[in-house]
Amino acid sequence: MSPRWIMLWLILFSLPVLAELDYGLKPRLIADDTWLLEGSTANFTKDNGGNIVNVGFIVTEAGVVVIDTGPSRRYGEALRQAIARVTEKPVIQVLLTHHHPDHALGNQAFKDVPIGALAGTAELLHAQGDSLAENLYRLVGDWMRGTEVVLPGEVLQAGVKTFGSHDLQLLHLRGHTGADLAILDRKTGVLFAGDLVFYQRALTTPHTPGLAQWQADIATLQGLPWTLVVPGHGPIATDAKPFEQMRDYLTWLDHLLRDGAAQGRDMSELIRSPIPERFATINLARYELTRSVTHLYPQYERTQMQPINTQQ
Amino acid sequence: MRLRGWWICCVPMLAWGAPVDPVPSVMWAYYHQLFLANAPFVFDERVKLLAPPFAEDARQVPLEIDARAFKGDVVKILAWAELNPLPQIVDFQPMERVLPWLSIRVRIEQATPLRATVLTRDGLWHVGSALIDAAGGGCTAPSVVRTQPGWEDHLGEVLGGRYPRATFSRVKLHVAHPMDNGMVSGIPEFFINHAELRSDDNRLLARMELFPAVSENPNLAFDIEGPGPTRLTLRDTSGSQFEAAIP
Ligand SMILES: [Zn+2]
Repeated sequence: MSPRWIMLWLILFSLPVLAELDYGLKPRLIADDTWLLEGSTANFTKDNGGNIVNVGFIVTEAGVVVIDTGPSRRYGEALRQAIARVTEKPVIQVLLTHHHPDHALGNQAFKDVPIGALAGTAELLHAQGDSLAENLYRLVGDWMRGTEVVLPGEVLQAGVKTFGSHDLQLLHLRGHTGADLAILDRKTGVLFAGDLVFYQRALTTPHTPGLAQWQADIATLQGLPWTLVVPGHGPIATDAKPFEQMRDYLTWLDHLLRDGAAQGRDMSELIRSPIPERFATINLARYELTRSVTHLYPQYERTQMQPINTQQ
Repeated sequence: MRLRGWWICCVPMLAWGAPVDPVPSVMWAYYHQLFLANAPFVFDERVKLLAPPFAEDARQVPLEIDARAFKGDVVKILAWAELNPLPQIVDFQPMERVLPWLSIRVRIEQATPLRATVLTRDGLWHVGSALIDAAGGGCTAPSVVRTQPGWEDHLGEVLGGRYPRATFSRVKLHVAHPMDNGMVSGIPEFFINHAELRSDDNRLLARMELFPAVSENPNLAFDIEGPGPTRLTLRDTSGSQFEAAIP
């Protein structure tokens, strides 16, 4: 074959590959000035490139406020382009809900913008970001190319931060990672709950300080004057169903672990526990139960054991 | 055509009862020789080796070995992770009153076949198998215990619990020990390598050799028939001995 033919073949065969690595982000207007990029409720795969997360942005008079930046540099760049397709206003602020890689690894595309997060989020991203990114490379592959951790430069505190006519109430909660930011837009009533709320997708527990804390945060969020809830993962809702599902699932998980420990059940036994029929609509429940038992059961077990040494 | 010919070759082999390995393994023959000295064996579903489908934490993978189908007939149970740099997990000899059932947490370096092999009194090894997926690194991950200040003061501390069942009681143990496997930079091997369970009148109920694939701060569970306190003795590779009494 002549070099020209080889070039043609290369182009023909590499084009579909390049085309596949397009997140195809399509912002959806969910309230006045408020746009959502809804991810799937699946796990990280080489097909979805880690687009399993809900990212939002608010187009205020003063500019665009972005809530989370997605799983990769490629996603962050696509997000910026998607924003530019719906508004000419500049991005003026990024707010990170927490340090998890699917929410914070698109930061590279927003280096020219203040990136705000709770102090705990910055610390966790500093400590764990590289290994979380490495794990995501392993799971989704080439989508991650060129992705590096960019730490937030602005420390956020609980309180109200105003952008144009939008008063954003920032809440400092803890249940999912120890440092979780929830954002209520007082103008529209849209509540960006971050990963404190998973809906129709099983919650993840690798960094939770405990399920009781998480339950308390759910109660706090539900008590806010919201009109629409944006979970970190799963569909948005205008009713309280996401909170009810969270409370139900957290209660079930807590009882499963507590009763299991009291009965001396084995960890691998608990991993095989039946999942109640009412959680059948929750994607990845079996997978996340395996993970949650691994993360949480050792602490529950220890509360049901006593020191038994007779001499040292 | 070639495929068909291949099948004809295989059919007589299957008919003779050539063992069919339930997991894809390139190492079985090697370990059969190394750990079982090429003794007669069968792949046997009655030996249940229960592991999660994937290792969420490769440093703490829960395994359950259930050979109760051979109750009264078991000489010893050997377990290993085939693709671990240090494959051996445990050599467990349940004797009086202790059921041939064991739970233990282990380190996994990568996705691997797991084996629990049960020697019965007739000299036959019954091989239970499982596969586990893992992101990896469980054997070479730095110690968590050693990052905790004052861990030496807690060395050998045992937490225990006894939980009644219908015909036996479950004994669960948690032992504070770094279980250094010698693979993490600069730290030599230092692990609990021997455990014994004895009755109140000093009769040996079970004996166990532990290997460095066992997780740090080992978690163990046994099922014991009959009432009465049980004594636990642990020894580590430095010669330290730890004693505990299970109520
Ligand atoms: Zn998260």
